[in-house]
Amino acid sequence: MTTVTAPRTPSTTPTWKKVLRRASDRRYMPVAGSVLTLVLMLVIGEMRYGGSNGFVTPRLLSNLLVDNSYLLVLAIGMTFVIITGGIDLSVGAVVALTGLVIATLLPMGLPLPVVLLVAVLIGSVMGLIIGVMVQYFHIQPFIASLGVMFLARGLANAVSVNSLGIDHPGFSALVSWNISVGEKSQQFKLNAAGLIALVLLAVAFYLLHYSRFGRTVYGVGVGDGGNAIDLMGLRTGRTVLWVYVISGTCAGIAGILFAMYTKSGFNLTGIGMELDAIAAVVIGGTILTGGGGYILGTAVGVAVYGLIQVLISREGLGEAWWTKIFIGVILLAFVILQRFLTARRR
Amino acid sequence: MSTTTPSPAVDIARRVTQHKLFWPVVALLVLLVAAGVRSPGFLSVTVQDGHLFGQVIDIMRGAATPLLLALGMALVIATGGIDLSVGAVMAISLAVSLEYLDASSSAGEPATAVVAVALGVAVALVLGLFNGFMVTVLGIQPFIATMILMVAGRGIAMLITKGQITTVTAPPFKHIGSGFFLGLPMPVIIAAVAFVVVVLVVRRTALGMLLESIGINREASRLAGVQARNVTWFAYAVSGLLAGLAGLVYGAPTMAADANNIGLMKEMDAIMCVVLGGTSLAGGKFYMGGTVVGALILTTIERVVIIFHIPSQLTPLFKAVVIIAVCIAQSPVLLQKINMSRLRRASRRQAEIANQEVPA
Repeated sequence: MTTVTAPRTPSTTPTWKKVLRRASDRRYMPVAGSVLTLVLMLVIGEMRYGGSNGFVTPRLLSNLLVDNSYLLVLAIGMTFVIITGGIDLSVGAVVALTGLVIATLLPMGLPLPVVLLVAVLIGSVMGLIIGVMVQYFHIQPFIASLGVMFLARGLANAVSVNSLGIDHPGFSALVSWNISVGEKSQQFKLNAAGLIALVLLAVAFYLLHYSRFGRTVYGVGVGDGGNAIDLMGLRTGRTVLWVYVISGTCAGIAGILFAMYTKSGFNLTGIGMELDAIAAVVIGGTILTGGGGYILGTAVGVAVYGLIQVLISREGLGEAWWTKIFIGVILLAFVILQRFLTARRR
Repeated sequence: MSTTTPSPAVDIARRVTQHKLFWPVVALLVLLVAAGVRSPGFLSVTVQDGHLFGQVIDIMRGAATPLLLALGMALVIATGGIDLSVGAVMAISLAVSLEYLDASSSAGEPATAVVAVALGVAVALVLGLFNGFMVTVLGIQPFIATMILMVAGRGIAMLITKGQITTVTAPPFKHIGSGFFLGLPMPVIIAAVAFVVVVLVVRRTALGMLLESIGINREASRLAGVQARNVTWFAYAVSGLLAGLAGLVYGAPTMAADANNIGLMKEMDAIMCVVLGGTSLAGGKFYMGGTVVGALILTTIERVVIIFHIPSQLTPLFKAVVIIAVCIAQSPVLLQKINMSRLRRASRRQAEIANQEVPA
């Protein structure tokens, strides 16, 4: 190393260069890739279906949020788990279970807040079971959450095997509540489900990026047995247990949102929903081996996921199989991109 | 000093209870005995027209599909990977075979059936090679690499059947699912042959050891001269091939290629069989015999639920109980705790003996 580096004078570098340098930080590359894909998809949509009303309208964006609010909530919880290097396969079954519990308890005359609280707590308990198995019995997250997936699905089947409609004045009021700005295609309509998802996103953002707990979550995921975080002065403690409780709680909330979306509970809902959530998290730039990822990246991942479905239906490829194939292809592209970026880092 | 060395009987008992397969076998026996007590004819096997019939035979027939999947899965898991695509591969291979039979004018000919089977299995092999390519050459994590095919695969199967449920009638093809050979159901024979072949290949050659070495430490085994890439690729290829075979065996009795439902969640069943058999998902050591026990447990649960007149939709609940119980019983933490308390008890006993001897 004989080269002499000139003394750096940060004041002379223009702001745009600083911004560019920050944006091209390798850590942000996977997320940058997701954002780029999202923008590209919006541009393609605008070019193909723009017309007089335009494709990228406030209405499209609000629909995207409202239609995918339950997926966003699931993906938020999944992000915590995946950053610790774990996985939670139970969330789809928990969504089915909470939906059915709501549909069963409301006609019994229990007050709405109590029912919703019970629904969320069911999710938390399911998460707790996984957490205890992973933290205290050192069972691999995959198999622990697989066990709870069967448990939740079995309980859902025990509640009912029929689709139960939810007809409750308070619940209906909650479903139809919304804030609306603008008219027609410029209308931005935010309902309760979308609002809950946004609030959870903000809470998760704070928790993961600005709290002691969040740092520890990343530290656990590095996979050195917690050495690095011990040296940083953070304590691993029950972090692993808590991320599963968070994921389970999110699944409980997502179950409520899905019940609001479909106004019913059914024991076969949510089969494979956990994979949608995992795919959204991965598209959002979180690495499955743990230790890295961004909660806002997950939000972008969910948006990409939702937009694929919008584009395919606009393209007239109504058949369900095209959605599956396209999601597979996009996932493939992302994973190869991520792989390419992380390989260069080493 | 005779108090410190345990008697041979205790020693054997301890070795048996600490064997990897102890808890899975106990679970299987408990299930079988429970069913036998509830329904006395459960364990009896009768002969009709030279074919064996009985609940136990039915369990073996039912275990054939999960076992075929789990054999390949065990090899993949041994390398530290996972194959989530097997359910979708089942659907694709069945769709390909039945579409071929549907298009062929001589669906009733045995030769046509052989070609249909070969086509289905060949496509499955290609899909397995694709998974292996992504994992070994591109270096993508197995979970996500095989999840791509899991998601897209069902779409591909639907594309092949054009969204319809293809049904054909071809007796020779149906034979592989519902026929008999030497008195045993054909699926049992196929699964047994596959088991013997896989066990011979991995245990009579160094391949099994190489797979385990890759699972324990990929880099170290590569430095030691193991062709980690090729061996891992082989495991995914075998998994794909066996998944294709499983799809044909599973779908042959009904002869209907339902792309949405054939093999749905079967990957989870297969993984469960492997884990119940004592193989760790972290990779390394794998147990083929244990995998068979796992597949039998899984199928027995389904059968026992029927015997006990429990609504069949509650089956997942029992799967959950068995999987959680066996995993916790096998978990190293619990074993350690038990050993610790045993040691503590032994040392306390010695201390007591010493205390009694001192005053005298």
